[in-house]
Amino acid sequence: MNVLLCSINTLKGLYDISGVEVGQHFYWQLGGFQVHAQVLITSWVVIAILLGSAFIAVRNPQTIPTAGQNFFEYVLEFLRDVSKTQIGEEYGPWVPFIGTMFLFLFVSNWSGALLPWKRIQLPHGELAAPTNDINTTVALALLTSVAYFYAGLSKKGLGYFSKYIQPTPILLPINILEDFTKPLSLSFRLFGNILADELVVVVLVSLVPLVVPIPVMFLGLFTSGIQALIFATLAAAYIGESMEGHH
Amino acid sequence: MANVIMASSNAKPLVSPIQSSLPSKPRIQIPQISLPTPKISQKFISISSSTLKSLSLLAATSLTFSPPCFAEEIEKAALFDFNLTLPIIMAEFLLLMFALDKIYFSPLGKFMDERDTAIKEKLNSVKDTSEEVKQLEEQAAAIMRAARAEISAALNKMKKETQLEVEAKLAEGRKKVEAELQEALAKLEKQKEDTVKALDSQIAALSQEIVNKVLPVQ
Repeated sequence: MNVLLCSINTLKGLYDISGVEVGQHFYWQLGGFQVHAQVLITSWVVIAILLGSAFIAVRNPQTIPTAGQNFFEYVLEFLRDVSKTQIGEEYGPWVPFIGTMFLFLFVSNWSGALLPWKRIQLPHGELAAPTNDINTTVALALLTSVAYFYAGLSKKGLGYFSKYIQPTPILLPINILEDFTKPLSLSFRLFGNILADELVVVVLVSLVPLVVPIPVMFLGLFTSGIQALIFATLAAAYIGESMEGHH
Repeated sequence: MANVIMASSNAKPLVSPIQSSLPSKPRIQIPQISLPTPKISQKFISISSSTLKSLSLLAATSLTFSPPCFAEEIEKAALFDFNLTLPIIMAEFLLLMFALDKIYFSPLGKFMDERDTAIKEKLNSVKDTSEEVKQLEEQAAAIMRAARAEISAALNKMKKETQLEVEAKLAEGRKKVEAELQEALAKLEKQKEDTVKALDSQIAALSQEIVNKVLPVQ
């Protein structure tokens, strides 16, 4: 009993020192529903950053691009390339979806590591990357599901559903299961990675405040970028998969 | 296993009063804890140290997922707390997508495509001008040839004309000279005739005179 209490107390001490707050939310009441205010606030900041920088850089396009325009052109080429590789020749209409997905996730993830959210004190909970919250990742994963269903149905009509009995009807349950595992894996991969990344940094900073967390922070930046890319690429792959013909 | 789970689930209320209370009097709290679950606490004693370790581990894990609460109420770890945030984020994402499409993807993409086609057109037109240059060169060569031909023709013509003129003048001169010669000859002939005529008329007197001179005594 004492051992248990002791271990709990030491853990609690560590917990208090590190100041890790997991699953703590700053709630707003919205017409009888609760929302996670910290997620909304940070997502607004991310959206503002995206729209503002894009607007400033692309406001007046030059034939010989300026530095900012050049960067945004590079990003757009990259997004087109990702979409084209995964979707194929009819990638054009999907560039906004894939591009917004990547940019939103990328800026969200990096904002968690680069913006000094912790300086802003909330009454409860704390500001962090919007992707740190399961609501965000599930929302985006569900949108991806809707997107690939829309892509398949608009391309092939009801014939889209014939893919469930391809190559044999025996695989029908597995094919149906895939529609659930796709958003699940998408959302949980992103959520887990970003949460774990921020937790590792916070815990390491609390234990060793100097030098040691820096490589982990860089690793975190790397992981964040990779996760955004993976999410966008997989979304594009799912869309491309549902659009390609089954012969 | 069921016990373990129960214990871990009970660990949360066990912990929370300690955390909310002041650290100066933890001793008093412990009997309180054992009161609502006497059976389990008895079982705790009989549990071996290895299970105790796993128990503490479980408690630790449950702690990390259920952070210490600050208020009186026990707050559950709301890691998987779905609420209205989800549809709001969806709506925000869709709005962001439309806005980015309007101010970024479409205009810049269109601009880049247009620039690409313009550059390609310019490149093609450059290839065309090389042909045009060749054509112009040929034209220039043709003009030069024509000019040269014209010049040589003019030269020839002029040469011929001058020659004709020269010949005409020559012929004229010759004619003049001949005419003058003829005239001179005719004049000479006339003078000769005149002289002969004059001589004829004087011939009788002259012969008389000669006879008289030769034959003085008659």
